[in-house]
Amino acid sequence: MTAQEIRLCGLLLREHFGEVVEKVGKHLLGGGAQTLRGIAHETGLPLDLVKKTLCVLVQHGACSFTAGRKGPGSPAEYWACCDRILRILRYPRYIYTAKTLYGDTGELLTEELLQRGHMTMSGLVKTVADRLTQNMEEGHSVDYSEVSSTFSKFVETRFLQRCPPPVRAAQTGGGAQAAPGAAPAAPTGAAMLAPESFPDCYEVPRVTLVGRGKRQLAPEDGEEQRSAKRAKMDPETHGDEGIYWQVNFERFHQHFRDQAIISAVANKLDQTSSEIVRTILRMSEVTTSPAATCTKPLSANEIFRSLPASYNISRPTLDQYLTLLADDPMEFVGKAGESGGGMFVVNLHRALANLARATLESIVQERFGSRSARIFRLLLRKRHLEQKQVEDFAMIPAKEAKDMLYTLLSQNLVQLQEIPKTPDFAPSRTFYLYTVNQLPTARMLLQNCYKTVANLIERRLFESKESKRLLEKSQRIEAILASLQASGAEPEQLTEVEEMITAPEKQQLDVLRLHVNKLDSAENQVDETIFLLESYISSTAAAPT
Amino acid sequence: MPHLEPQQRAGAINKLLSLVSLRTWKMKGSDNQEKLVYQIIEDAGNKGIWSRDIRFKSNLPLTEINKILKNLESKKLIKAVKSVAASKKKVYMLYNLQPDRSVTGGAWYSDQDFESEFVEVLNQQCFKFLQSKADAARDSQQSPMVQRNSSFATSHEVWKYICELGISKVDLSMDDIETILNTLIYDGKVEMTVIAAKEGTVGSVDGQMKLFRGVNPVLQPTGLVKTPCGLCPVFDDCHEGGEISPSSCVYMSEWLEF
Repeated sequence: MTAQEIRLCGLLLREHFGEVVEKVGKHLLGGGAQTLRGIAHETGLPLDLVKKTLCVLVQHGACSFTAGRKGPGSPAEYWACCDRILRILRYPRYIYTAKTLYGDTGELLTEELLQRGHMTMSGLVKTVADRLTQNMEEGHSVDYSEVSSTFSKFVETRFLQRCPPPVRAAQTGGGAQAAPGAAPAAPTGAAMLAPESFPDCYEVPRVTLVGRGKRQLAPEDGEEQRSAKRAKMDPETHGDEGIYWQVNFERFHQHFRDQAIISAVANKLDQTSSEIVRTILRMSEVTTSPAATCTKPLSANEIFRSLPASYNISRPTLDQYLTLLADDPMEFVGKAGESGGGMFVVNLHRALANLARATLESIVQERFGSRSARIFRLLLRKRHLEQKQVEDFAMIPAKEAKDMLYTLLSQNLVQLQEIPKTPDFAPSRTFYLYTVNQLPTARMLLQNCYKTVANLIERRLFESKESKRLLEKSQRIEAILASLQASGAEPEQLTEVEEMITAPEKQQLDVLRLHVNKLDSAENQVDETIFLLESYISSTAAAPT
Repeated sequence: MPHLEPQQRAGAINKLLSLVSLRTWKMKGSDNQEKLVYQIIEDAGNKGIWSRDIRFKSNLPLTEINKILKNLESKKLIKAVKSVAASKKKVYMLYNLQPDRSVTGGAWYSDQDFESEFVEVLNQQCFKFLQSKADAARDSQQSPMVQRNSSFATSHEVWKYICELGISKVDLSMDDIETILNTLIYDGKVEMTVIAAKEGTVGSVDGQMKLFRGVNPVLQPTGLVKTPCGLCPVFDDCHEGGEISPSSCVYMSEWLEF
C-alpha cells in the first residue's frame, strides 16, 4: 500500500462516510493491524466513536478483524482493506452497468446494496420496491415478486453473492469484544476466505415476500430514518434472516474486462469481429474462472450456433473472421485445436497485457509527443537497444533522440542497463542499453493514476468549499420553494423567492456545476485507466511466465 | 623472353601494370613512410580511417602524417570524407572508393545533416498510401479474408508509389523505403507480415516478400491523459498544501474554464 493509495482511500472515506471514518481508516491503513484500544488511543477519539466507525467499515467490508496474535483471549485486531476502499471510486460504473443490463430495478438494487454494504434479500427487495413505487405515478406500485425475480437474475449471473457465513465469536477469541457494536455485521473475521469457497454462494433462499411497494407518506423523510424505522417496525420474518448479500466485484470486473476486449477488437478490426468475440465471451462467462489465462476452448460449430440470428453471419464468413482474429498480431483470439471446425479461445491475459501496453503507449504519446512514443514502442519491441541503434531505427536526429531518451529516462518510463566489458565500469568500455519494463512501468503509472484521482477529488472539494455559502443559499431557497409549492402558494410568491438568487450568483452556480461535473467525469475516465492497469498487474502477478 | 610474340609480351606487361605497377608507378617518388600510410588507408576500405588511428598504426609523428596525407591528397590517391557520426572527424580512403553508408549516412543525409523533415514527409506519404489502400479494401464489401488481403501492400508497391510521386530528389532504394515503413511500425500505425513469394516476383528478396498494411489503434487516448494531471510537467512536485497543489493549480483552472 503506497502513500498515494492511502491518500486516495482517505479522500474516498471522507466523501462517503465523513471525517471520523477517514481518520480511523487512514490510521488503520498506515499502521497495519491494531487493537480497538490502540486505535482509540492513537487517534484520540472516544472509544464508542471508534467502535461505531469500525462497524461502518466492517459493514462495507472495508475492514476486518481476527483474534489477537498473542494467543486466545488476547484482544482482536483490526485491519483495513485498501482494495475494497478503492472500489468506492468505481461505484458509478457498477451502478451504470447494472442499469444497462437490468434496467432501473437493477440500478436501484446495486445502488442500495453498495450504499449499505450488505443486506438480506428481503430487506433489499422491499427497499427497492418502495423506491420504485415512489417514482411512479399515483395509484401504481411495484410488486415485490418483480424485484425478487430481477434479484434472482443478478444472482444467477453472479453479479451478487452471499456474504461468507460469520465465524463464531468463540472461534475468533477476543472478537466478542467488538461484537456488541457490530452485531448485524455478518462477515466478521472471515474476510480472508473467498466467498466462492462456500457451496451455496449463489443460491437464492426461498423467501416469502408478498405485497407491493409502499408509498412513503412524508417524502422528505430521510433515507436513514426510514430504514431505521423499518428495522424496528418490521416484526414479520421472511425466512432469510442471517443470509446477507453483497456485490460481487470480481464478476463486475470480469464484465468490464470483457467489454474492454470487445471494444478493442471493434476498434482494431470491425464491428462484426467484435460481435463474434462478444459471443465467445458470453458463452464462457460462467464456465471460465475469473483468474483463468484464457477462456475454455469453443469449437467453431458451437460459436456458430450461439451467434444471435440478427448478425446474419454465414458459416463460411464466420470461419474467415475467426481465422482473421486468430491471425491478428494482437492475439486476442487464439486457436487451440482443429477439432469441431477449429477450437478457439480468447486469450484473456494476453489481451489485458496488450491493452495495458496500448495504454502505456498512449500515455507516452500524449505526454511526450509521437516521436517519443515511437522510441518507446521501438524499445518495447526490440527490448534492449543502444542509443545509436535507437536513433537509426526511429530515424530521429541524434540530438533530438538523445533529448527524448533522457526525458523518458528521467520520468522512469525507460530504464538504462549498463553492461561493462571490463570490471571497472569505465564508460568507454561499457554498453549502455535502453529498455522498457512493462510491468514496473504499469505499476508506476497506476500510482500516478491514484494521485491524479486524489488531486481531482481534492480540487472538487476545494471548488465546492469556495462556493459553500452560495450552495447553502441555493439549497435553502430550493427547500423554501418546495414547501411553498406543496402548500399551494401563489405564482408571484414563487417568483419572488426565486429572485432571491441574483443573476451573477446563478451564473456562478452554473459554472460551479459545470466544473464539478467535469471533474467527476474525469475521475471516472481515470478510473478506466486504473481498471486496465490493475487487472493487467493482477493477471501478470497471478501467472508469472 | 625472346620466344614470346611482341603482342603477347605487351599484353602481359599491360596486365601486370594494371594490377600492381599502376600504383608503384604513381607512387614513384614517394618514400617508405608514404607507402606505409597508403597501405594503412587502403586496408581501411570504404569505411575510411581517422588520422589519429593512422598515427597509432604507423607509429609516425602527427605532423609527419599530416604532411604525407596532404601530399597524397594532392596526388589524388586518397580523399578526405566527413563522417556523419562526428561532424569534425575526417576520414581518409582511397580516391576511387564510394564511401560506405555508415560514413555518409545514406539517403537521409545531405552534408552531414540529417534531413528529418524529409523523413517525416516520406513517413506521412507512406502512411497515406497504406491508409487509402486499407480504406478502399474496407469499402469494397467483399468477404473479410479478401478485404484483409487487399489492404496489404508490398514494399515494392510503396517504393513505386513514392518514386512516382517525385517528392524525393535523391534516388531511394527499396531498403530506404523499408526503413521508413519500419518507423511507421514503431508509430503503431502499420503492421508487417512476411510471405513466401515465387522466385522472380518483383519486390521479393530471397523468396520472401514483406507486406505492410495500415491498421487502426486499439485504444482511444486513455483516461489519464485526458486530465491535466496526466500531462502535468510538475506532477511529482504537486502536494496538497504545498507551493504547487491541486487547489491552486493553474493548469486545472484553465482546463476547467475551457
